[in-house]
Amino acid sequence: MNLSRTARRMLAGLTFGVLALIYVPLLVVVANSVNPSQSMTWPLDGVTFEWWRRAADSVGARDALVTSLQVAAAATAIALLLGTLLALALQRYSFFGKHSVNLLVILPIALPGVVTGIALSNGFRTILGVDLSIWTIIIAHATFCIVTVSNNVQARLRRMGTSLEEASADLGAGVLTTFRLVTLPQMRSALLAGGMLAFALSFDEIIVTTFTAGNGANTLPIWILNNMFRPNQAPVVNVVAVVLIIFSTIPVWLAQRLSSDVEAVR
Amino acid sequence: MSLPTGADASTVATSGDAAATAAISLRGLRKQFGDVAAVDGVDLDIADGEFFSMLGPSGSGKTTVLRLIAGFETATAGTVWLGGTDVTRAAPFERDVHTVFQDYALFPHMSVLDNVAYGLRVRGIGRKDRRGRAEQALDTVRLGQLGGRRPHQLSGGQRQRVALARAIVLEPRVLLLDEPLGALDLKLREQMQVELKQLQRDLGITFVFVTHDQEEALTLSDRIAVFDAGRIQQLGTPREIYETPGSAYVAGFVGTTNLFDAATSQRLLGVRAEHAVRPERLRITPTSAEPTTADEIRLDAVVVETIYLGTGNRVHLRTDDGLELVALEQYTGSLDSAAHRGDAVTVRFARADVVPLAAAP
Repeated sequence: MNLSRTARRMLAGLTFGVLALIYVPLLVVVANSVNPSQSMTWPLDGVTFEWWRRAADSVGARDALVTSLQVAAAATAIALLLGTLLALALQRYSFFGKHSVNLLVILPIALPGVVTGIALSNGFRTILGVDLSIWTIIIAHATFCIVTVSNNVQARLRRMGTSLEEASADLGAGVLTTFRLVTLPQMRSALLAGGMLAFALSFDEIIVTTFTAGNGANTLPIWILNNMFRPNQAPVVNVVAVVLIIFSTIPVWLAQRLSSDVEAVR
Repeated sequence: MSLPTGADASTVATSGDAAATAAISLRGLRKQFGDVAAVDGVDLDIADGEFFSMLGPSGSGKTTVLRLIAGFETATAGTVWLGGTDVTRAAPFERDVHTVFQDYALFPHMSVLDNVAYGLRVRGIGRKDRRGRAEQALDTVRLGQLGGRRPHQLSGGQRQRVALARAIVLEPRVLLLDEPLGALDLKLREQMQVELKQLQRDLGITFVFVTHDQEEALTLSDRIAVFDAGRIQQLGTPREIYETPGSAYVAGFVGTTNLFDAATSQRLLGVRAEHAVRPERLRITPTSAEPTTADEIRLDAVVVETIYLGTGNRVHLRTDDGLELVALEQYTGSLDSAAHRGDAVTVRFARADVVPLAAAP
C-alpha cells in the first residue's frame, strides 16, 4: 500500500516520538549509572565507574541479584515442566472440565498482581501455615510463568498438527518414545522461547513478590524500591537498574529471534 | 497369524470364517463423532495381497475407515480384524499396518535416511543394520542418493516416495494409503500410479488405498468399495463397478452416465425400474438411416452442445420427448462424423448396454 508523503512523515514522527518516550528515560538511567555527580546533574561532566564499583561491593544488591536469579530459574523450571504437561493435555487429549482448566490456568496472568499477591500470602500463612521464604516467591512466580510456557507450547502443538505423532505411533513408537523422538524436538524452540519469557517475567516481578517474600528474601526489584529514595544509594540503584535492563532484555530478544527463526524455516 | 492361502478377490465374500483368514476384516464397524455417524455399519473383507481402493467424495467415511484400521480412531461399535486377530482396541503401535499419510508426515528434524529408519530404530534394531535396510528401501523407491537431505529439501514427489519407503522398510502385511497422490500434479500422479502398482505387485503386500479420484481407483485396484454417507454403496472389481453400477449414486460418481428413471425406463425398455447407459455406448447417426432392430433402441434427438476432448467429442443431446443424454464420440478416422450444434440426429444404443440399477445393497 502506498501512503502519501505527508502521511509517511507523520507516521514516522509518531513512531519516533513513542519510541523516544519509552527509551530516552532508559538511556538516562544508563547514563546516570556513570554520572560523577551524586545528585545526577545533567549534562554529565565526565564518566565514572565509582557507582558500579560500589554496587559490586554492595552486599544487599548482590544478595538481591542472587535471589532474583534463583527465583527466576526455579520458577522457570517449574513452569517448563507443568506448562508443557498442561499444553499437551489441552492440545492432545480431551477430558472432563478441559475448558475450565484452561481458563483457570490463564487467569493468574490477567488478575491484578495485588489480588494474586494478597491471596497467595494469605494462602501460605493462614491456610497452609507456611512461613514466607524464597520458596513462597518461587511458587507465586510459577503461577504466572506456567501460562507463558503453556501458551507457547500450545501454539506450537496446534501448528504442528497431530500427523507427525500419528506417523510415529503408526511406525511402532509408544507414547513416551514418540514424545522423546518427535514431539519434544519439534517444540524445543517453543520451550526455549516460553522459558525465557517466563524467566524475564519472574526476574522483574515486584507486586506479587512484595506480598510473598519473607524476611531476608529480597529480589532485585524489591531492593531497588527500598533503596531508590535513599540519597546515598541512588547512584547504586541506577547501576542495578542497568543490570536489570540487561538481564531482562537478553532473554526476550533471544526468545523473539528463536521464534522468528522457526517462522522462517516453515 | 496364519497366512490365508489363495484367497482371491471373488471368493472373499462374506463366508463365516473370512474374518479369520482375510488380511483385514471389518464387522459392523461404526464411528460416531458427536451426533454424526462418520462410519455407519461397514462390513468388509480384504484379501491378502489385494490392491483394494476405498472410493468416495470427501465426508463419505472412507478416510475414517482407514484411520480405524490404523488405530488412530477407536470404533464406536463393531470390530477390526487384522490377519485373524481382533485389534479393535489396540493402539496404532501395536498393529502390523503402516500408513502413508496424505501430507506425508515426514519428521522435519530428521534426515531422509533417519526418517526411513525410524520404525527400525523404535524397534531397537542396531544403527548399522537399520541404516542398511533404510538405504535398501530408499533404493526401492529410487531415492538412493538423497538419504542425507532434509524433507523440506525434497520435491512433493520425492517426499511421497520417502513416506512410502518409511512404511515398506518395516515389511508390513498391510499398507494403508490415504490419498497419497492427492497433492501431486497430474503428470507425476500418473507416473506414481504405475510405480505404486508395480511396488504392490513386487512386494506382494495388501494395499488399502483411499481416494476420491474414480479414475485412479479404476486403474489401480483389484477391487473397489464405493463409499457414501458412511456406508459401502457398492463393492466389486473396477469392471463391475463401472459396467454394472448398483445404484444411481455409484453410476453417477464413477464416470459419467445417462440415467433413466423408472418412468423413462418403462417407456424405453418396458421395465419399471431405474436404468443407466454409459455415454460411450451411444452412437450418433443421421436421422432415419437404418431400420431399427429388436435389440437396439433408437431415439430422435437434437445436438445441444459438442465439446472437443482431444481424443473425441462429448455430445450433449436432447431427445424429442425432452430426455437429456450425453454421448462420447471417439475419432475413428473421419472428422466430419462429429455432430454439430443444432443438428437433428438419431441416437442408437444396444438394449444389452442398458444396465438396471438395483437399490443400494
